[in-house]
Amino acid sequence: MLVEFQQALADLVASPDFCRQVRLSPPLLHERYVLSEREHERLVKIVNHKAMALNCMLYRANRLAPLAMNLHEFCTLLGPRLGPLLSEYAVLYPNTNVHFYLECDRFCKFVLTKLSDGYELEREARVVLEKEHSRIQLGLMASYTAL
Amino acid sequence: MRDRRPLVGLLNNPVVPSVIRYAPDLVEYVDVIPDRLWYDFEHGEAIGGRFHRVTGAIEELSECARGRVLGGHGIGLSLPSALPIDMEMVEATAALARQLNFQWYSEHLSMFLVSNGSVPNSQAGLGLPVSYDDETFEIIRGKLEVLKKFLRCDLLLENGAVFTPVPDTEMSEADFLNRLYSEAGCGTLLDLHNLYVGKRNGVLSPLEYLEQINPESVQEIHLAGGHELAGFYTDSHSGLTPDEVWEWAYHFSPRFRNLRAVVFEFHESYFEKLGLKGIAGELERMHALAEAVTSATVQHGAMV
Repeated sequence: MLVEFQQALADLVASPDFCRQVRLSPPLLHERYVLSEREHERLVKIVNHKAMALNCMLYRANRLAPLAMNLHEFCTLLGPRLGPLLSEYAVLYPNTNVHFYLECDRFCKFVLTKLSDGYELEREARVVLEKEHSRIQLGLMASYTAL
Repeated sequence: MRDRRPLVGLLNNPVVPSVIRYAPDLVEYVDVIPDRLWYDFEHGEAIGGRFHRVTGAIEELSECARGRVLGGHGIGLSLPSALPIDMEMVEATAALARQLNFQWYSEHLSMFLVSNGSVPNSQAGLGLPVSYDDETFEIIRGKLEVLKKFLRCDLLLENGAVFTPVPDTEMSEADFLNRLYSEAGCGTLLDLHNLYVGKRNGVLSPLEYLEQINPESVQEIHLAGGHELAGFYTDSHSGLTPDEVWEWAYHFSPRFRNLRAVVFEFHESYFEKLGLKGIAGELERMHALAEAVTSATVQHGAMV
């Protein structure tokens, strides 16, 4: 089914780990999706295409873009900790929200939940998170009432 | 000799008004992305309807539009997706098209929506490749009929930047676009830089593609620049148009007798790098191209 083929392609682009699994075991696609043989063969060829890595990189870059634009200082302060946080966030919320303020508000709340669960962050980063989250919430509030 | 000179323009983004103020005579046309002029609360609670317009940006654009032609260039409808068309978005697009007086409207021949959500495109940075088969053709044709009814203007579809083409399709991309033109009345927005991306990454031959595309179908051309990432070349809209793309533009554009506009795309995050002078210089080159295309006659496919 085309709709399943398209979903599988999107899921692969969103997950390098899933790509690796399918490369090792192509029948996995049949287990998860309703696919014709032609669709299955196409997906296996695509996932083995050298540029599949680029698709995955662009997916990740595009998930990062709204956060880097609107939570710039916080992302900078996170440094190398940003990558693992983004991976965890993308798995928990596989769908992007095209409304960037909603996407950023969701990411801030995700980090705040992690903090309350014991994730450690220095005071400076917590202050910046609070400041940038407030700004996002103000923007979000304004967009709620825009006509 | 063609009866009209193609317009020269830019893809709208938040810094385009400042380019227009800097070089008002060089910008005749603006491609407007409706998705950037509203907040979409499809996945969030809002007061009132789903789409909340960014009124400041629309007012600024309306100011810029005086004496210029506007067209729509959408992302969110994702026509190749095997899903029903998003009627709320169609209606919102049609309302904006009426307000801003879009002369024509284009979408991407790429997939951004799937049944379980969306692929983040950050203004089309990532569109998934399309299966050029009868099944997809019928899906797109049906949606084009709906769009035509609501928008009441000419529709175009743009070739995307493809990194991993769907293998063994029933048609080539150029044939698919030709069929959309002949059977569905949908024109082609030919993105020459996307062909360059395909060439650089070894997935298509631009010259074969340009020979194959029906020249009558091409109504708009996009120019842009990209950059390398991890050994690949991307359509990042980060630079000026590469020389090879200019060569194709000069060689093939005289064949496109229905060409209405030539558009330069840049992303606002690279504005500082490109600079006002750099963008104005690109627009001047595009005017020279438009002049050359208008005065050229075509004999046996060659410009003389």
